[in-house]
Amino acid sequence: MDHEETEMISRCQQGDQEALKEIYDKYHTKVYRIAYGVVRQREDALDIVQEVFIKLFRSIKNFKGRSHFYTYLYRMVMNTAIDHSRKVGKRFISSLDEEGSFEPSDGVEKGPERILLQKELEDRVKLALNKLPAEQKAAIIFRDVEGLSYQEMAEAMGCSIGTVMSRLHYGRKKIQELLKDYVMLHDQSRGGQNSPKL
Amino acid sequence: MKGSCSSISRLLEKYFDQEATDKERFLVESHLQDCAACQGALKSMEELRALIKSPLEEALQKEDFPWVWQNIERQIRLQEKQPWWESIHSWLDISPLFKRKVWIPAVATAVVLLFITTQIIFKNTSSYPGASVVEYVESETNNVMVYDLEKAKVTVIWLFEGPEEEALPS
Repeated sequence: MDHEETEMISRCQQGDQEALKEIYDKYHTKVYRIAYGVVRQREDALDIVQEVFIKLFRSIKNFKGRSHFYTYLYRMVMNTAIDHSRKVGKRFISSLDEEGSFEPSDGVEKGPERILLQKELEDRVKLALNKLPAEQKAAIIFRDVEGLSYQEMAEAMGCSIGTVMSRLHYGRKKIQELLKDYVMLHDQSRGGQNSPKL
Repeated sequence: MKGSCSSISRLLEKYFDQEATDKERFLVESHLQDCAACQGALKSMEELRALIKSPLEEALQKEDFPWVWQNIERQIRLQEKQPWWESIHSWLDISPLFKRKVWIPAVATAVVLLFITTQIIFKNTSSYPGASVVEYVESETNNVMVYDLEKAKVTVIWLFEGPEEEALPS
């Protein structure tokens, strides 16, 4: 943790909202990415970003500086996002609009079929992630979305590196199984006929 | 082919996550050269990562984050202006001590003990000396001291015999 960040956190701990704004400017995209990774829905991800920074302002006094600040923050984001997805999971219906879907990375023209396929695929990813235990889901999001190292993940999740590896392994295995048919469609849509079936 | 697929599979995941040591990386790369199955497994992990990650970058570019900050500021301001009764209510709400029924017998026991101790202490303390009335009544034959213990409603009377007559010179 650099000196600038330590000072920023210390000011925030004394109730300085300007310091919170600085923390927000530095971390809001990372917080959004993790939140989106879990809930797979723009509005919900934005709600989580808001909730996390309000929570942070209230509870930052509890941060003692024994770990990296970002791992403390990421843990808070993950817990909030998982709680949120549990709440909304029951009333989950496919609701990805065109804005929320992703562009093909290989320049394939975007026709109606392709849009439908992407929407279905994204809904399936969301469902598959929701079927994972919270710890496995957290491990996959931290690693595959945010690119944290095993060490950073262990810090954020409060467990050993061995446990992190195990959660990643079983989580990936399960999600590959759940998505195998859709990944095959995904490959075909990208012209990846020779890609292995998951 | 160097190493079996089962021995490489765990290393393959470390390799994919860029956590493998130089030695492990060398082992995996040597194995991958000749093993189509492990190449496939590696590709599957890449596909899965792309699937999970790809909508994110697109969504990120479209978000209006300054607007989100304004909402956060507004929420914080609203919470700061909470009326006093709500503050007390929320404090009671968050205080786990008040939610746990396990404290009820402990508090009741403490109150009973305090009551008993107080009773014992007050019982052993004598009444105020100033509250007693001491009176002398002198007569020709006797001295009488009346000592009234006001609190205990007890009157103690000492009867002194008259002053010894001085021995008369014979």
